[in-house]
Amino acid sequence: MLLTRHHQEASPREGAGHGVEVGLSFPFLVAPPPAVLRGEASLEEALGGVGSGDAHAALAEELLRHLPGAAPSRVYVGNETCERLLPTPQAIGSWVASAREGRLALSLVLPPLSRDGLAKAEEAVRALEGVEASEVVASDWGTVHRLRSRHPGLAIVLGRLTHKMLRDPRLAEYFDSPQASAPARAALCRSGELAPGFRALMERYGIGRREVDPFLQPLEMDEWESRSEKLSVHFPYLFVTMGRACLLGSMHGEPAERFVPGAPCRSECRKYAVEFRLPVPGGNGAVKNLLNLGNAYYHAVPPSVAGRILGRISSSRQVDRIVVTVPTGGHGGPK
Amino acid sequence: MKLTVPVSNPEEVEMLAENGAGEFFCGYVPQEWLDRYGGAFWLNRRGPVVGNLVQRDDVSLLAERSHAFGIPVHVTFNAPYYTPEQQEFLLPVIGRLARESGIDGVIVSDVGFLVSLRRAFPGLSVHASSVMATLNPGMVDFLEELGVRRVIFPRSLGVADIAALCDAAAGRLETEAFVLNEGCVFEEGYCMTTHRSVGALCVQLPGVPHRVLPLGGEGAESLAGEGGERARELMGAFKDWVWFQNGCGNSMSPDGIPNGPCGLCALFDLARTGVTSLKISGRGTSSYRKLVSLQMVRGVLDLVERGAPREEAARKAVALRNTPKFCEARYMCYYREAAS
Repeated sequence: MLLTRHHQEASPREGAGHGVEVGLSFPFLVAPPPAVLRGEASLEEALGGVGSGDAHAALAEELLRHLPGAAPSRVYVGNETCERLLPTPQAIGSWVASAREGRLALSLVLPPLSRDGLAKAEEAVRALEGVEASEVVASDWGTVHRLRSRHPGLAIVLGRLTHKMLRDPRLAEYFDSPQASAPARAALCRSGELAPGFRALMERYGIGRREVDPFLQPLEMDEWESRSEKLSVHFPYLFVTMGRACLLGSMHGEPAERFVPGAPCRSECRKYAVEFRLPVPGGNGAVKNLLNLGNAYYHAVPPSVAGRILGRISSSRQVDRIVVTVPTGGHGGPK
Repeated sequence: MKLTVPVSNPEEVEMLAENGAGEFFCGYVPQEWLDRYGGAFWLNRRGPVVGNLVQRDDVSLLAERSHAFGIPVHVTFNAPYYTPEQQEFLLPVIGRLARESGIDGVIVSDVGFLVSLRRAFPGLSVHASSVMATLNPGMVDFLEELGVRRVIFPRSLGVADIAALCDAAAGRLETEAFVLNEGCVFEEGYCMTTHRSVGALCVQLPGVPHRVLPLGGEGAESLAGEGGERARELMGAFKDWVWFQNGCGNSMSPDGIPNGPCGLCALFDLARTGVTSLKISGRGTSSYRKLVSLQMVRGVLDLVERGAPREEAARKAVALRNTPKFCEARYMCYYREAAS
């Protein structure tokens, strides 16, 4: 059972605002957060609690303003950038059971996978077989190809890391500058995914959904609406970059062993984050946040950007899901 | 193994060919592209102009001179993506380069553009750029099905991974791995930042204010005391690593050899992976750096190909670099696990 903002009962689909599905993603959790999955936490509580002063609190307000009654109907397990956080088949079994109890659908998130990672991911995918409304989010085309070849009926979602567009928070708000030429502005506010070649790939691999970021620059209308696939939009973090060598994962290594791609770690990402404050060019001392979570870097978009995108979603034909990342188990993000 | 060498001027061809280049790659940015996009959207990974040819006649001359030495030329069209309009613009450009300038093929990163390119020019050789981030055998299969001739592995792969992927590609795709110059702190294929105007984010990061935060929740750990000291030490090491990846602060050795990411002492191991080409990067660098880079790789590779043992090849590599402290630090290595 799910609870809406006003603690009313809601079914997964009915609870979502304006028919927009809400997914909660827990990229660093080993085990499912019981309160959230059993519907004992409201959306605000699941996002860390209004008034905590973090990105999630502002997001919760925007979300409920634009999508009143929104409640989680799907849960995401797995990390989009690090294969060391790939859930085991046993862990997936636990998530499946919890999600079923909470009447939530389940999405398994896969990062760009190495050779070994791909083999482990296939084990994880097998653990999802037969689970109703489940899907796999893939973050590289090699994984898409392998999964489609071996699991023809599997619902594959293209993860946002495959959505190639610039999103550098230092400059992205200038991408739509009136001083830029029209072709340059258009190129920075849309991807190449409406070109015939990419369309052919989407059809060939039977991709019915793609994930996108909460872009700082306003995307062109076509980028949202002229697709055959449905869209999921991530909040509140804009993916910026990732490395296969991990900053936090190097915390306990000997100096010469640090920053090696795929090196062993102590899952420091489950305990710490690093917040950078990037100076804005010409910004007279203004800064942009950049949050290092695990081996990836994100920018928590300001409420104005979240509001702009959420405002569009409520009238969009193609966007029917938002995905909210919760770095911890619903106990609050970095403060 | 062939050595794939950057070239940015027809005048460099003879010098590089006579020093052992096996293949060339270059960039071409037509004026019309610059008129449309200025510096806002780079046509390839080196832009908007530096390191690129801007006259098609120069590409023709470069190809003609290279072919006189029996060396093929591939041209980079490896921006992470191109919009539909850009693809419509670029396909005829590539057609003219192939038909009239005599290039042998192109290097691409955008998977959709790759599909369109193969449809338009089925006979043209296409190499999958490192920006495609080929990390697993599924990607090798994917690229083969799309008609790619060669896969260029990203810098983040270790020797064992390269060996496994070469095994997967054997008999189907040519393979290429980085051996010298220019690092990437992040995974290039998943870095959505721009170097335009503000420089590389990775180089900037260690110098901006930051704080290590405990995440909320049950796993939270305090950073007081020892934890705080460890966090400070980590950020210091991060600064060092970024410095090495960024060409050791763009410094030079006492012999005038530009420093930077290097896989020379891993050549013995790389030669046993089955990789078919080794890439020296740096289209935007000076002719001198291109030459000295090629000579260093050729020097160690010749030794390996003559049957020198691993240790001897590694000693030669370290001696050629003549920056023993940098080698000892190991942050300059592409293949740290194979470094001696």
